[in-house]
Amino acid sequence: MSDQQLQHLIKMVNQISANNLHHGDAEQSAEVIATHLRKFWARSMKQKIIDYAESDGLELSTVSRLAVKRLSEPQEA
Amino acid sequence: MLDYYDPSKTDPGTGGLNPDLDYGTPPSPSDAQVSVSIDGTTIRVPEGTSVLRAAALAGINIPKLCASDNLEAFGSCRLCAVEIEGQRGYPASCTTPVAEGMAVTTQNAKLARLRRNIMELYISDHPLDCLTCPANGNCELQDVAGTVGLRKVRYGFQGENHLDAETDDSNPYFSFDPSKCIVCSRCVRACEEVQGTFALTIEGRGFESKVAAGQSEPFMDSECVSCGACVQACPTSTLMEKSVIDAGQPEHSVVTTCAYCGVGCSFKAEMKGDQLVRMVPYKGGDANHGHSCVKGRFAFGYATHKDRIKEPMIREATNAPWEVVSWDEAIAFAANKLKDTQAKYGRESIGGITSSRCTNEETYLVQKLIRAAFGNNNTDTCARVCHSPTGYGLKTTIGESAGTQTFDSVIKADTIVVIGANPTDAHPVFASQMRRRLREGATLIVIDPRRIDLLSTPHGGKGLHLPLRPGTNVAMVNALAHVVVTEGLEDTAFIESRCEPRQYNEWREFIAGERNSPEAMEAVTGVSAQLVREAARAYAEAGNGAIYYGLGVTEHSQGSTMVMGIANLAMATGNIGREGVGVNPLRGQNNVQGSCDMGSFPHELPGYQHVGDPAVRARFEDVWGVTIDDEPGLRIPNMFDAAIAGSFKAMYVQGEDIAQSDPNTQHVEVALSALDCLIVQDIFLNETAKFAHVLLPGATFLEKNGTFTNAERRINRVRKVMAPVAGLEDWEVTMALSNALGYPMDYRHPSEIMDEIARLTPTFTGVSYEKLDRLGSIQWPCNEAHPDGTPTMHTLDFPIGKGRFAVTEYVASEEKTNRKFPLLLTTGRILSQYNVGAQTRRTENSQWHHEDVLEIHPSDAELRGVHEGDWLGVSSRVGQTVLRARISERMLPGVVYTTFHHPGSGANVITTDSSDWATNCPEYKVTAVQVEKVTQPSAWQRHFEQFDQRQHQLLTPAAIHAEASDATALK
Repeated sequence: MSDQQLQHLIKMVNQISANNLHHGDAEQSAEVIATHLRKFWARSMKQKIIDYAESDGLELSTVSRLAVKRLSEPQEA
Repeated sequence: MLDYYDPSKTDPGTGGLNPDLDYGTPPSPSDAQVSVSIDGTTIRVPEGTSVLRAAALAGINIPKLCASDNLEAFGSCRLCAVEIEGQRGYPASCTTPVAEGMAVTTQNAKLARLRRNIMELYISDHPLDCLTCPANGNCELQDVAGTVGLRKVRYGFQGENHLDAETDDSNPYFSFDPSKCIVCSRCVRACEEVQGTFALTIEGRGFESKVAAGQSEPFMDSECVSCGACVQACPTSTLMEKSVIDAGQPEHSVVTTCAYCGVGCSFKAEMKGDQLVRMVPYKGGDANHGHSCVKGRFAFGYATHKDRIKEPMIREATNAPWEVVSWDEAIAFAANKLKDTQAKYGRESIGGITSSRCTNEETYLVQKLIRAAFGNNNTDTCARVCHSPTGYGLKTTIGESAGTQTFDSVIKADTIVVIGANPTDAHPVFASQMRRRLREGATLIVIDPRRIDLLSTPHGGKGLHLPLRPGTNVAMVNALAHVVVTEGLEDTAFIESRCEPRQYNEWREFIAGERNSPEAMEAVTGVSAQLVREAARAYAEAGNGAIYYGLGVTEHSQGSTMVMGIANLAMATGNIGREGVGVNPLRGQNNVQGSCDMGSFPHELPGYQHVGDPAVRARFEDVWGVTIDDEPGLRIPNMFDAAIAGSFKAMYVQGEDIAQSDPNTQHVEVALSALDCLIVQDIFLNETAKFAHVLLPGATFLEKNGTFTNAERRINRVRKVMAPVAGLEDWEVTMALSNALGYPMDYRHPSEIMDEIARLTPTFTGVSYEKLDRLGSIQWPCNEAHPDGTPTMHTLDFPIGKGRFAVTEYVASEEKTNRKFPLLLTTGRILSQYNVGAQTRRTENSQWHHEDVLEIHPSDAELRGVHEGDWLGVSSRVGQTVLRARISERMLPGVVYTTFHHPGSGANVITTDSSDWATNCPEYKVTAVQVEKVTQPSAWQRHFEQFDQRQHQLLTPAAIHAEASDATALK
């Protein structure tokens, strides 16, 4: 796995978070961000960011971490 | 030749008029009808119609020379004189409006003598070289001489005349021979009224009167933009296409759609056999109404350029010579490579890019190939790097990923807001329409770091320029909306009836906050609060406020936020859902709207239907006979990252030059070099093809059938006028590849592909080739509710029911200036070149723009000791390139500007991979740079030069021979 690819994913998710901090509290924002990732990110990208969040996750902003955690939870169709 | 009005010959989509006939004066917009009798024929026409036009509508052609139905009546030639019962003399029918009960005589002995006398005077100062004249066979002067029965010229030809006037051949596409000029002023008026440039004038008086370009300069040195309107207007051979002078008059013509920008002009391709003699803008085209620009009108020579790729080619490695093979071999080679890659690296290891230059049918087929034959959703298109934020932002707020209006709508706008767009250069034909409205007095507001030419519209009305700092669009749109909300300029009735109250209330609370006031944002945008307030009022109180925007909105880290901000502004002021208003993205490429509509994005099937929706997938699966992946695929930048990481190994790219057009070139080059198999289908060896293993010859728009969809959602037919150089249209190549991969496709004509699109796309259910031929063009949605299409959207409701305001918090770009990179670079386009320039660089258009330059403000230049023409090293955080300096005050100090039309300029070597948060659309418009004087090209440019030379060598048969041993070794 390339660090560069992961770095880009981290940057992207933090950027998405920074642009979605206005949806109520952190949990609500995290849900909006997770929904965005579900809708627009490829399977492999989601998996990489989930793996990163579970193994390290230090470079993720607080809301990003919450969002990725939600992303990793099973979703009702 | 004489034209007779024959209703059976009327072309479709033209309101019963024949676009091939000239009705003499423009139509009257009046709803009131009056009845007149012309030569005993009674006809009812709208009040205000000229007698000349009324006669033409009745099938009676009154001779004329200075009149044309795209120009206001002028009344100078007097040939159209008529007799009107109860009136004295012989009034000119072009300048005389009809009146109820009027009785007109167009032909009698007196009128015949009058007309003959006028023609006698004209011809006494006109060369009698009709047989060798390039206009022979298409000359109005000759036709009228025949019509009036001119038999002799009593004045002789020895008197003072203009026959020795010198020809101006400076323009590469047309010549100006004043010895043939009859000073009818049609060219001058076309330049003013149709194009809006005012480059031509009548100089001198009386016998000395002559047509002059600029300050009596050669055309090329004048302000002339070479749109061709004057050439088309000329009734003689004074202004004449050089291609006609060379080839003679064309013998047949086919109506088709231009393949340059998103305006989508209709043209008649005028042919001699399979040779294209000239492109003439088609009056029946609803996007352009018979107008054109220098690209569509003249820059078609690339289609027959010697650089065209004419045979399929393959190679094992990118440093190996190309091997010319048959189509079958090339397709089998490509299919095997793709299968092997998937076998080795998995289903998701391959993908493709659809082309915004190809037809809807071709784009649809490529994404279908990827989803059905590749078995994944790794499909994307160049809209990723231009208008993907439009898709996201408009869908979120107003429910549909497209502009809301027709181009014609601008004629009813009272305030025109142009944000991050440069229509006179990038969408010139629409810009002419905008200028027409500005001359009628509409207010113009330009929000752009650069002072664009639209602000210098001759005889334009009030113009406000808000020269904001690059990257601060959202701060600006929030400040504008703040003024609307806090000064009571909202359209509360619209908001209450058309918008979701919860989202509106949230937004209102946010936008009314002091931090969004123009005063608070002044420090961010650099634009005075007073000016922002003035602009907000001018838009909100206009009556009809229309917003047009371009890539200066989308290509930012907050591109999607800005699009939503624009939609908020339009909803808050009720400027949506009728003519004269709306939110209008100006699309860059000819079919970028279509490529988005056709499901090119990795998360959406055709018609913007999400792949995660089981009901949507089920419908496609039923027709396609495969299971569709329920997860979105990789977008272009994600593909590059995955390629470098080693998980993405093969790619099929149709008609898209990602190596030149995408940001951070060096990153793209590393990614492309990492692929095991790159299949490029293109008309030239473009920059991307230099990294390819399979090169499939593409077909130009002249060589295929299909449809393009322009920026106003207008689906227009593309019609084949010559055979594809390599025998196959692009859709046939995709089909062959699919069949070779084991997924059968069996279309006999693009119309069958469109039928499939119509079955699967709710906004296209009513579209068919039969209907397109019948109506001329169709604006989607076209379905049961809108059988003839939808010119204006959202008139009663939004596709999502009620409009949704979105909170648009300004988040500054991470791409910031500092001590090391103190300037902001922004990029754009110029009129004569198109996108990466692959087409226009191979035409005479390069005479206007043969290199990209760096525009720099005098104060920034002075600080660095830079003079006009100096070589400048431009460095960003990711790379360096060298461009020549042009000192310019179009931008504020601190901002520099360049274009990206030439690959060797390396404009994208310096742009970074910073991108829009929602869509990954690159932030081309903001790059922090330093600029300094240098003496040689950058390291990248030197490498580019070598690589370019090497790749061209590998293309020539000689190289193949010389490198044979090498090639064998590589195999």
